[in-house]
Amino acid sequence: MNDQVSAFREHELNLTRRQLFGRGALGLGTAAMANLLSRDVRATGSNPASGLHHQAKAKRIIYLFMSGGPSHHDLWDYKPKMQEMFGQPLPDHIRDGQRITGMTARQKTLPICPSKYKFTKHENNDRGVWVSELLPHTATVAKELCVVHSTFTEAINHDPAITYIQTGSQIPGRPSLGAWLSYGLGSMNENLPGYVVMHAKTSFAEQSLFGRLWGTGFLSSNHQGILLRSQGDPVLYLSNPVGVTRDDRRAQLKALAILNQQQHKRFADPEVLARIKQHEMAYRMQASVPELMDLSQETDKTFELYGEAAREPGTFAACCLNARRLAERGVRNIQIFHRGWDAHGNLPKEHESQCKDVDQACAGLIKDLKQRGMLDETLVVWGGEFGRTSYCQGGLQKQNYGRDHHPRCFTVWLAGGGIKAGITYGQTDDYAYNIADAEGNPLKPQPNKEHWTPGTMHIHDLNATILHLAGIDHKRLTYRYQGRDFRLTDVHGHLIRDLLA
Amino acid sequence: MMQLIRPLFVIGILLSADASYAAETTAVTAPVDFARTILPLLSEKCFVCHGPDAKDKDALRLDAFATATSDRGGYRAINPDAPAESEILVRIQSADNPMPPQDAEKQLTAEERELIKRWVLQGGAYSKHWAFVPPRRLAPDANKPAKQTTTIDDYVRATLRARKADLAPVADPATLARRVSLVLTGLPPEPAQLAAFLNSKDSDAYEQLVDELLDSPRYGEHQARYWLDAVRYGDTHGLHLDNRRGIYPYRDWVVTALNGNLPLNEFIVWQLAGDLLPNPTLEQRVATGFVRMNPSTAEGGAIPAEFQAKNNFDRTETLGTVFLGMSLTCARCHTHKYDPIPQNEYYRLLAFFNSTAEHSMDGNKYEYGPVVKAPANVAAWQAWNQLEGERKLLIGDAGKKIDDLDGANETFLAQWKQASSADRLAIVADPKGIFAQLDEHQRAIALVEKIETAEKSFTITLVAEDLAKPRTTQVLTRGEYNLPTGDPLAPGILTVMGAFPQDAPRNRLGLARWLTARNHPLVTRVLINQIWQRTFGDGLVRTPEDFGLQGQQPTHPRLLDWLAVELHESGWNLKHILRLMVTSETFRQSSAWRDDIDDPENRLIARGPSYRLDAEVIRDIGLWASGLLAPEMGGEGVKPYQPKGLWSALMHPASNTKLYVPDKDRKAFRRSLYIYWKRTSPHPMMTLFDAPSREASCVKRSRTNTSLQSLGLFNETQRVEMARALAARLLEQRTNDTERIDLLFTLLASRKPSDHERAACSDLLSSLKTRYAANEQDARALLSIGNVSPDVKVKITDLAAWSQLTITVLASDVAILLY
Repeated sequence: MNDQVSAFREHELNLTRRQLFGRGALGLGTAAMANLLSRDVRATGSNPASGLHHQAKAKRIIYLFMSGGPSHHDLWDYKPKMQEMFGQPLPDHIRDGQRITGMTARQKTLPICPSKYKFTKHENNDRGVWVSELLPHTATVAKELCVVHSTFTEAINHDPAITYIQTGSQIPGRPSLGAWLSYGLGSMNENLPGYVVMHAKTSFAEQSLFGRLWGTGFLSSNHQGILLRSQGDPVLYLSNPVGVTRDDRRAQLKALAILNQQQHKRFADPEVLARIKQHEMAYRMQASVPELMDLSQETDKTFELYGEAAREPGTFAACCLNARRLAERGVRNIQIFHRGWDAHGNLPKEHESQCKDVDQACAGLIKDLKQRGMLDETLVVWGGEFGRTSYCQGGLQKQNYGRDHHPRCFTVWLAGGGIKAGITYGQTDDYAYNIADAEGNPLKPQPNKEHWTPGTMHIHDLNATILHLAGIDHKRLTYRYQGRDFRLTDVHGHLIRDLLA
Repeated sequence: MMQLIRPLFVIGILLSADASYAAETTAVTAPVDFARTILPLLSEKCFVCHGPDAKDKDALRLDAFATATSDRGGYRAINPDAPAESEILVRIQSADNPMPPQDAEKQLTAEERELIKRWVLQGGAYSKHWAFVPPRRLAPDANKPAKQTTTIDDYVRATLRARKADLAPVADPATLARRVSLVLTGLPPEPAQLAAFLNSKDSDAYEQLVDELLDSPRYGEHQARYWLDAVRYGDTHGLHLDNRRGIYPYRDWVVTALNGNLPLNEFIVWQLAGDLLPNPTLEQRVATGFVRMNPSTAEGGAIPAEFQAKNNFDRTETLGTVFLGMSLTCARCHTHKYDPIPQNEYYRLLAFFNSTAEHSMDGNKYEYGPVVKAPANVAAWQAWNQLEGERKLLIGDAGKKIDDLDGANETFLAQWKQASSADRLAIVADPKGIFAQLDEHQRAIALVEKIETAEKSFTITLVAEDLAKPRTTQVLTRGEYNLPTGDPLAPGILTVMGAFPQDAPRNRLGLARWLTARNHPLVTRVLINQIWQRTFGDGLVRTPEDFGLQGQQPTHPRLLDWLAVELHESGWNLKHILRLMVTSETFRQSSAWRDDIDDPENRLIARGPSYRLDAEVIRDIGLWASGLLAPEMGGEGVKPYQPKGLWSALMHPASNTKLYVPDKDRKAFRRSLYIYWKRTSPHPMMTLFDAPSREASCVKRSRTNTSLQSLGLFNETQRVEMARALAARLLEQRTNDTERIDLLFTLLASRKPSDHERAACSDLLSSLKTRYAANEQDARALLSIGNVSPDVKVKITDLAAWSQLTITVLASDVAILLY
């Protein structure tokens, strides 16, 4: 079956059944109506939680995006042998032709830079997982995590790489992962947006984010991520102007509805009726969003879980708590962007601060979802757009160093809805430079997006797997634009069944 | 009549496209139209394996007659000599060995099998895809040339007649005046203009109104906006730091050019290749900002060769979308799956752009690559064009006298001939020069001074220039910048769309000449479709970005072609085309949905246009009605209110667009066209109503309908401010509430309210008046929003109440829809 949704059908999906029946009264043919109705059912789902192509394992997704590229060396990928190679040049056979960025391309040597952090092995449901001392809290939920050491991409710079992992293309213009999910699944809560994006505070606001990361590209723009902000109105323009009360707005909407109904009487355009409904929903949202943002009913226990920082609006911890509250209220698709992971120099100082921002809150979120019985149906994803180099950028010291961008391997973890808990997947060589086989030898040839190699996860594979868990076959969620049936994973992507529970 | 057998993509003019224009018939004997019925079917269901990009060299190719009918060892897929023996008939019906194979994603329906069968049995004739055949004027309902007197309405009626229907009645004059004014200028008619039209006894009152609107400076602003979407105009580089970029003189040039009705062919040539014209004028050079519009980066680690390739892809593919109505993206990595565009032709097309002089990385600089200094707003452009005119005249005058002058020897004449107009003027103005004794000399001195004064306020804008030594272009394997392969490629065009013009240079100028040649099958159609879409709400081709095999067929193919030829023959006259469209009965129909026609998408065009207005228009209407609209045109992007922190939450600390500093003066009330366009974070009131980011070309905006829009309409600071100013206007200009509500509706709906509407407004007003009278504090608070303190001559509680009525009507469908 082709799940192509035309622009017109997209438009139709915005119409509710009521309007469709209203249309019937206007003389729309029964066949066309049946068609519209069946489309309506198929794309938004009579039970929207059930998935588009198959039963969804994850009713909702919380994506914790670490923008800038966290160092897998210093957080997740334990390489004791590198300690003995401090300062030695990276062997050519390890680099194996990898292009490097303009920032280190002219550096005289590429000295090996072991992590200064202590790693401890934590019990999971498999062989255990090594976690650095920078993530003590996250380590406590090791049994819930599926830690993938073999994520890879082709992009080596931020803008292309982040655009790639979020939209499936390095060049702007494509819909984001979140927009695809919204397009494929619709919304579960009529009083809140279906796709919510938060920007967490950081001490190192480096690297830019772009509207395109939660934008819709050529999809209809109602699928874009809605910013939930910690400054001003949580949702843009949510509050009435000062001096305008909720009763005033009620009265205004009553008058507005009469005007619009008159317009409908004159022109019989069903869109007009749909708009009346949207105005009403906005009115409800003005109540539901403040309720969402009101943490006064949260217990001290909860703040112990997420950390005291969760009391301060805009922190990563507060965003995580909001994420749980959004998830509870049926918001399907939640993304938190945390910047500042781009540690070209002074990595220890920066990453220590970054980890402090996120570590407890990540663990808290997992525990909180679990204790509320929501983890099973909530997919949590943690990761950035690429990893960092095994060699140092700039001056190398034991206690201080920097790392450049590295595309060939990096660590992403997933947890919850449909994910196999407490495993690791894939491994890298002794330098955490190449994805390796079980013996630690770099895979030959290098894994690539054209053909999936077991044990590896290209970013397209990650996205294919996320969509799968949401009940979507990544190959069948397409949108025809310029004559081509586009999809998030382009012509690539492989569902990694090994990660599924 | 049986169609002649013609090889695909070889013969130019064909019969098939014509035949399809006739009403559909299902009679088994009726000829099956290959181009409009079979070719799209083959493309959709078969070309993935049997198309231009067939992987296996020996694979059967169904995209061309020659290969589809070739002997494949004792059988032929299509056998025109013995159609019944065609293998294709066996395979599409086969249970054991079917085509498409059982596991193919796309299967044939029974109906489609039957169509293919009929077509094969009729001889399996091939013809070109309709959009690759140059348009001709054909009569609305016969395969004869169109008559001189044929109109748009004849074509629309011809389709309707087949359904025993006719156009809807003409809309009432007031609604029509509002509609045409919004379509042409993006603003409602001025009350005086509206009254004059409604009271006019002239039979051509409507045409007079249309001419007034076409002459309005607001016309160029509104029409420019669509173009800026298509070319992805932005005030920032678009990638990484997304820093400021010097380019707004280009935007102002577009406004000026459209107001001046620059022929569209020149509009195209200047933008693609103004720098390559002989002695280019400043306008022609600034127009090449089009070539520089690709998003760019200077990210620390970026590799120049990678971005050279990406910038080229972007420009080539934008050319495809904007002028050819085609995606060329597929051909970046492999020969196009559906459309006959080989990969090497993609790279030959790309070669036209591969030698532009700027570095592939922008250095985060405002003045990135070649720049010129140009007029800094629209008025300055107009003044400049005037000066250019004077200069041309003066040089002409001086030139006529040259032969009579001493010193006009051969050396001098050669020098004169080579000189640019600026240099010639300098020669005439030279006190030691040979013109020193003439009147023209004094005039030249004065003019030089005026020009120098004008140039002092010029500002930087990015332009295109070519390197003296072109870069080498090769095919890039899979589109990877570091995998060039094969011989160096000379610049070249897509051969399926006609030959490169003889005697044209192999550079961007030649490319532009190819696009604007009489026989180019796509450019005029694509432009007409864009113009139709912005006039009627939907294009004649509903996929304006795709005229290829996978795109939708035109709803009115002959109308599209007739207008395409008209565009060409009118001298690429945009105002003429718009006048034809808006004065048609088709445009003037009532836009009410009809009970007698089942056509929710209005594909028959049996009712007038109706749609939600664009973001910019919604905002501009409010500013205009309130009297706040600042009429100044052009200049650096303006910054109306925007919630705090939107940019800083996203931007790198080194970016020079991380802080949004709202304008505090009248600039905040300029038309939305001039809003500063930061491509990674455009103004939220624009994106809320579907404005694109301008990172990529957009020839069709979505039109969504969301609850967040409701919040924006009622709560955004500028909405509150414009509502208050509108309320003050009503209170000051009219003496009683009835007249005030009348004026409100006259401004926003171009008519008086109905009884129901009046009652709704009165009820709301009286409840708000009571409510604010009881709480003056609230009234004061509400009126304090924004920067413009109202000059309150009325009771503030009344003003507060009125402002909440006006914001309601401004948010209603009365105001935000075209109908």
